[in-house]
Parts: sequence; structure tokens; C-alpha cells
Amino acid sequence: MSKKLKPKQKSSKACNLILTVLSLVWVFPVLFALIGSMKTKQMYNLTSFWELPTAISWGTNLEFIAKYSNILQSVLNSLFYAFCGALGCLIIASFAAYGLTKLKIKFRMFWFMVIYSGTIFPFQMYLIPVFKAYLKIGLYDTRIGLIIFYIAICVPFAMFVMRNHFLNISNEIIESAIIDGASDSRVFFSIMLPMSKASLAVVALTQFSWCYNELMFGITFVNNNAIKPVMATLSTFTNNTPAMLTACFIVSIPTIALYLLLNKNFDTGIAYTSK
Amino acid sequence: MSPPFFKGEWTMRQATSIWDKIKSKKDYLYILPAVILVTVFFISSILFTLKLSFYSWDGFNDMQFVGFDNYTKLFRDANFWVSVRNTGIWVVFSLIISLILPLLLAIMIVNSRPAGLFKNIFYFPSTLSGTVAGLIMVSMLSKYGIPQVFGLLGLNNWVKDWLAIPVLNTFVMIFMGTWTGIGMSMLLFIAGLRNMDRSSLEAAKIDGASGIQLYVRVVIPQLSTTTIVVLLMSLVNSFKVFDNIWVMTKGGPFRSSETLALTVYTESFVRNNFGAGAAAAVFLTVIVLIVAYFNLRNTFKTDN
Repeated sequence: MSKKLKPKQKSSKACNLILTVLSLVWVFPVLFALIGSMKTKQMYNLTSFWELPTAISWGTNLEFIAKYSNILQSVLNSLFYAFCGALGCLIIASFAAYGLTKLKIKFRMFWFMVIYSGTIFPFQMYLIPVFKAYLKIGLYDTRIGLIIFYIAICVPFAMFVMRNHFLNISNEIIESAIIDGASDSRVFFSIMLPMSKASLAVVALTQFSWCYNELMFGITFVNNNAIKPVMATLSTFTNNTPAMLTACFIVSIPTIALYLLLNKNFDTGIAYTSK
Repeated sequence: MSPPFFKGEWTMRQATSIWDKIKSKKDYLYILPAVILVTVFFISSILFTLKLSFYSWDGFNDMQFVGFDNYTKLFRDANFWVSVRNTGIWVVFSLIISLILPLLLAIMIVNSRPAGLFKNIFYFPSTLSGTVAGLIMVSMLSKYGIPQVFGLLGLNNWVKDWLAIPVLNTFVMIFMGTWTGIGMSMLLFIAGLRNMDRSSLEAAKIDGASGIQLYVRVVIPQLSTTTIVVLLMSLVNSFKVFDNIWVMTKGGPFRSSETLALTVYTESFVRNNFGAGAAAAVFLTVIVLIVAYFNLRNTFKTDN
């Protein structure tokens, strides 16, 4: 890196200083939430936010969460929805991307635009019709209804990223495999997918996180507290701030862990999201 | 044995050509699930919303055709224009912030050490959901949070819930939106900086360019592709912001911080005016489509 831009030592130090100051601003909300989550409700309302608590009250707050909210159940719900959503969209989207880049399909651009159009329109456009249709066919307030919708809404972007990646895989490899007698599906599973690990990881990460973090469709398509996704439950959590802040930490664990886990792939794969 | 409807002989060639036809159609099976999902969920939804915007519907009884009534009512509603104004503020300001800040951060991060740590710190809020970030901000901006500091300074007027102050709350929310919003743009700029063609950089250095001049004249122009991607991406996203606002103010107090995305939701699911909600959705879509047109043209410039 220093090899690349050869920064002067002086400017590098200035960058470090500015970034350190900005980093403090950036982590401030997290610190605020952390200190807040350690207090009890009474302590939070009586003391200033910079005063450290005398004792850490995570136990009390966790007890409150477990007793008076559905957060823990909702976390499990959302992990399940997000897993199904990400896996489903990965499968459907990479099949489609493979078809659109490597197989003999007429009007490729047209079919591509049909699928890609799903990313263009504001999502608010889908709220009312899907709500109404779900009411009619009995998918409203069901797990499967939410999962199918999450898969559908993730497919267009996932297809876009996978297509960009597949376009960069040379046709020669595929042709020589076909000459050796490999079928289309064999090429897909033994050549295309293994060569796309970084992109698959990025798509899985972004789409899993998107589904997990999603609020608007969660509050619209589900009413039953037992199957509500996590953000829908969290958004109604208001009367006990320290417990709410504790809940914020708990619900964020999966997406943060996933980012750290896929950190390296992320840098490689990100190029394909913007081509 | 040849089937009866076959006049000629069932030759090998015919058999293979039919088999080929089936096989060539088999390729379409790969794109079929995606096409079906998008058609069923999105394309039909768009058509239905368009239709609904000309009807009056409360969610339970039959729909009634009302022509352009939903639109004329909407355009006469002062709240709608507040919502349009707020959307405009969100778009303009989040555009400026989400372009300049990530670019500056990326340049500094590439020149810093440990670059990985800084990158993770600034990306970290992007892994949080809009709901979590919104809730943290709500408590941080309530009278138990930052406003207390103003109390210490003797500015007791400022010790109240900042999200309850109209117009100011929109700016506060935009500011807080950048906390979670700039991560992806920053990563794109970092990737752009790392993949940059170094020869022109070296040439400019030999010519004596340095520091800020080097960046303004050489580096930033080379990032134009990334810049356009980030610009259009943030532009489209800024129209769609829902989660943050919903959690922080629900569009209030008195609809003062509502944006079009929220108007669509509240008209439909809070006030049960599904026709008016649909009309607002169509209005929002027309604006987004204009932006999306440039986005698409830019994305597929290289394809054709």
C-alpha cells in the first residue's frame, strides 16, 4: 500500500490522526449504547449518560427481555428466514446467471432486464399488492410466505452480481469441459460454482444481512408475535431503554459475526457488485 | 415403428433435431424460476399498484373506480408536499454527504496504518440494521442523551428530545443515516483506489504534483467510474429510506418528518387509504425511474 502510493511519512501521520479522531466519533454511539445497556432503568433515567454504572445490570436487562418481549424467539425466526432467503436466492440467482451468460438463450438482454427490473422500483411499490395477494391465498402471517418473498426480493440483485462474475469466467474452460463430455449442469456445479466462491460469499453475506435486518415487509406481512422477524419485534420495544439497548446488541451479533467471518472474501467480491 | 401422424420415415436426423429442440429449450429452465418469481411478485405488483391508484379501497370492501381522484387529493394535501420536501432534503443532503465523506475516508484509510482496522471501524455500523441504529439514535438524542451536554453548558432550551423538533429532526436523521449508510461506498472507493493505474500517478509525481493537488488533478478523475456508481447507488437508496425514519420518528411529530416512502406506508396501512398509498407509490416510482434510467445507462454502457 505504501508501495503503491508512496505517501510521505508526514501525510500518513496526519491521516492516522484524523482517522483516529473520526473513529472515536464513529464508535461513540456504540459506547453510548454499551454504557446504557449496563444500567438499570432507574439508573438510566436518573444519571447522566457519561456516568458509568456502579454495577453491570446485563442480568436484569436480559431477564426483562426474556420475560416481557419476544426478542429471543424473533432472533431465531429471523435467522431461519434469512438463511432460507439467502440460500434460496443464491440457488435461483446463480442458475439464472449461468443461463444468461453461458447457455444458448434467445433475447438474453431482455430476460436479464426482466429479472433485473426487480431492483429498480422502490420496494414500497410491492407492499400493497403482495399484502393483498397474501391475504387472499392464505400466505399472510405465515413463515413460508415471508420466506418466499425474501427469496424473490433478493434474486434480482444476486443474479446481477453472479452474472458479472460469470461473464469474467472464460468460455474456453467451459468449452473444453463440454468436449470432454461434461453436461451443462456438470459445468455449472463443477466449474462455475467452485470458481465463484468469493462472489457467492458476498451475495450470501449481503442477502442474509438484508433479510435479517429487514423491517418494512416484516411489519406488513406478519402479525403473529410468535413468527415475527426480529426487527419487527425490536421496533415495538420502547418502554425500557437499557433493556432495549441490550436487545440491540443481542440482535446484532449474527450480522456482525458474519461480516468478520467473510471479511477477506468481501474485499475480493465487492468489485462485482458495482460493475 | 413410426407414429401414425408421421407421414415420412422416422429418420435419425428428425429424431435428433426434435431432441435438440427439447434440449435447447432445457436451457430456459435455468432462468425460469427467477423469471417466474420476478413476474409474480414484482411485475404484477407494479401493474396492480398502478391500477389501484385509480381506485378507492379501504382494504376490506370492494374497490371502486375513482379516476384521478387519488392523485388530485394527494396533490392538494399539504402533508404530501411536506413529504416531498423532506424527500428532497434527504436526497440532496445524503447525496452530498455519502459522496464526499466516503471518498475522503477512503483516501485517508489507504494512506494510513493499520488500514484494515480503520476500514472495519467505519464499515462496522453498516452491518447494523436501520432499526438497531435508529433505536440507538433515539436514545442518544433523547433528553437522557447528548442534549444533556447542552444542559451542562447552560443551554437548557436544548435539553429535550431532538427528534421531536420539526425540520431539525430530518437533518438529525440524515446525519445519523450517514453513520450506517456510508460503509459500502467507502469500500467501493477503497477498492477503486487500490486498483488504480499507477503509471499516470508516477508521471504526475515526476512532474512535481503532490499532496492535495495530486489527488484533485490525477487520483479523483481516475475514480470517476466508482464515483458515478456510488452517486447513483446512493441516489436510488436515498429515495427508499424507510427503516431509520420509521423507528426514529414514525414520520412525526404531526407528519413533519415524513418522506414519500413513509407516506406510501402510512396512507395504506395506518389510514387504510390504499388508493392514496398506491398513488403516492406511483409518484415515487416515476421519480425513481428517472434516476434509475441514468443508473441503467451507466451500468450497461460497457455491455453494448
